[in-house]
Amino acid sequence: MDSGATLEELEQRPDYDVQLESLNQWQLAWRRFKRHRMALLGSALFLFMVVVGLIGPFIIPYDDTKIGLPDAKFNAGRPPSIAHLFGDTGRLHRDVLTLVVNGTRLSLLIGVLASAISAIVGTFVGGIAGYFGGWLDTILMRIVDALLSLPLLFVILAFSQFLGEGHASWPTMVLIFGMFGWLGIARLVRAVMLSLREEDYVDAARAAGVSDVRIIFRHLVPNSLSPIIVATTLGVAGVIIGEAFVSFLGFGVDPATPTLGNILSGALEFISQGNWWWAFFPGAAIVLIVLGINFMGDGLRDALDPRAKV
Amino acid sequence: MTATEAARERRTGVGDVLLDVRDLRTHFEVMDGTVKAVDGVSFSLRQGGRLALVGESGCGKSVTALSIMRLIEVPPGKFAGGEILFEGRNLLKLNDREIRKVRGGEIAMIFQEPMTSLNPVMTVGDQISEAVLLHQPVNRKGAQEVALQSLVDVGVPDPKRRLKQYPFELSGGMRQRIMIAMALSCNPKLIIADEPTTALDVTIQRQILELIKNVQERTGTALLLITHDLGVVAETVDEVAVMYAGRVVETGTVEEVLLSPRHPYTRGLLESIPSQGKKGQRLSAIKGVVPNPFRMPKGCKFEPRCPYAWQAGADEEPPLFDLGPDRMSRCWLYDPRYADHLAEYEGRAPKKSAEVAS
Repeated sequence: MDSGATLEELEQRPDYDVQLESLNQWQLAWRRFKRHRMALLGSALFLFMVVVGLIGPFIIPYDDTKIGLPDAKFNAGRPPSIAHLFGDTGRLHRDVLTLVVNGTRLSLLIGVLASAISAIVGTFVGGIAGYFGGWLDTILMRIVDALLSLPLLFVILAFSQFLGEGHASWPTMVLIFGMFGWLGIARLVRAVMLSLREEDYVDAARAAGVSDVRIIFRHLVPNSLSPIIVATTLGVAGVIIGEAFVSFLGFGVDPATPTLGNILSGALEFISQGNWWWAFFPGAAIVLIVLGINFMGDGLRDALDPRAKV
Repeated sequence: MTATEAARERRTGVGDVLLDVRDLRTHFEVMDGTVKAVDGVSFSLRQGGRLALVGESGCGKSVTALSIMRLIEVPPGKFAGGEILFEGRNLLKLNDREIRKVRGGEIAMIFQEPMTSLNPVMTVGDQISEAVLLHQPVNRKGAQEVALQSLVDVGVPDPKRRLKQYPFELSGGMRQRIMIAMALSCNPKLIIADEPTTALDVTIQRQILELIKNVQERTGTALLLITHDLGVVAETVDEVAVMYAGRVVETGTVEEVLLSPRHPYTRGLLESIPSQGKKGQRLSAIKGVVPNPFRMPKGCKFEPRCPYAWQAGADEEPPLFDLGPDRMSRCWLYDPRYADHLAEYEGRAPKKSAEVAS
């Protein structure tokens, strides 16, 4: 019946397949995301901080390395004024707004890059372990278990001390957080792979001669993107907090380069002298970024859930 | 020339043996012991031939198909014996690289579940051209053209738009057409169709069967059809191998097997098909159930359920008795010693099994 028809004839043939308004999974997800009010608020917050980090440094009239003249009357820093909206720091009189804007840029950069590394390494390790199973899975997952059982914060402190001698460059921080951030993602991806590899389309692909590596990365990873995206998004917030913590303790990025954490670190000494603005503004920036990411992540989790109702 | 002779002519005239499965044994090591899912399956298929493997669920027909494609996971699976000769090469001896060339390129497979056999996040065009790129010397653009042509070949309406669509935008019948297009795209020498119509609506089943048959005749590829549906068998293939408990129990042409079954199991299957001629009669069924794989009967595996059984060769399994060219039965009836039993078997003539073939 069908054989022998030409392309032209088939173009003309009535199509009995029901034509629904068909949306792919990303369009459906976007539709659900748009209805999630907190997620929209979170995304707006996050985007705002990204814009601040990206273009802020070019708008602010001050240089983040600029030091003010000593002022005996205001040794603990000058409070917010028209000239310095967020006030300035104690002792060196650096402009807090300038520091926060630059710190936001660097903290976000560290967070995003470290999470990207985590996502790539985690997907790779988890994908291989989950798909192949057997001894490979056992070895890789025991390594993950072993690393996860270490008190990570102290390991990270030790690493930054070792790699940067207390004055690490920001790429070193990216590396350190990337090195330990992939563990959770690897577990997640492995779990997803364990169920996906039983899908019929995997058998169909194997029957077509597709290699295992190609099946993992071309067929299965795209099918497990949703949980990876959610985990990576939330991971950005985790790294930003972690970096702030490490820098606050003085083990992070060199204090001359402002990240949100080491701005806070400098502020500690002057809080008791009434300088609240030095600590408040970078602290608020951290809260806004992390809150924004977490709301956004929650929204993504709901939006990307294939079982969710439209 | 009778239909049987025509079929035999066609069969012998088609060419050399393409696929020769000899005494295949595929076992699975599980917690409770060894499941001998396939235990001594032999059959052969000539170039351009059409053979059906028939049997109940769990008789090992799908495992046989997956063994040919080497899609059995090892472990727990294990090829405990036998060989699968494809154009003289033993597929069981090929390394990973070599078997991947065979899969899709020389032997293609159509699966039972069109709804789940396509990757939900890849477009139809990408999925077909993925296979094409692996097996043919073309670039991406060329592969898309081959994909388009194979959609045309299976009669998919509006094929250009289909290439860019995702599986969720298509109906089950349409997806199965796409699976067939994918199987065809690399001009395989053999297509294995594992219950290709079981998951489809009855109205679509016929279309898909016709399509498979058409495509097979047009391209001259061989067809190995796996099914439990004797109606499908009668319409689609020339030869049949009936399987029971991991073994082939009867082989022959469609006409031979469906009109004069030489194994009590085949006769039982045929008698349990509802048909108009049996209206008002009680539908017969084969009593009992398929044997537990851990407690297989010692001798004939069908003996406990066999209405004709007597104490023949008690602990010894019957061999495949040769009853003519490519006509075999694994039943003690065909041992010359038991001629009187055979007479009784033939005397209890089948009620209306002839109807299936008509």
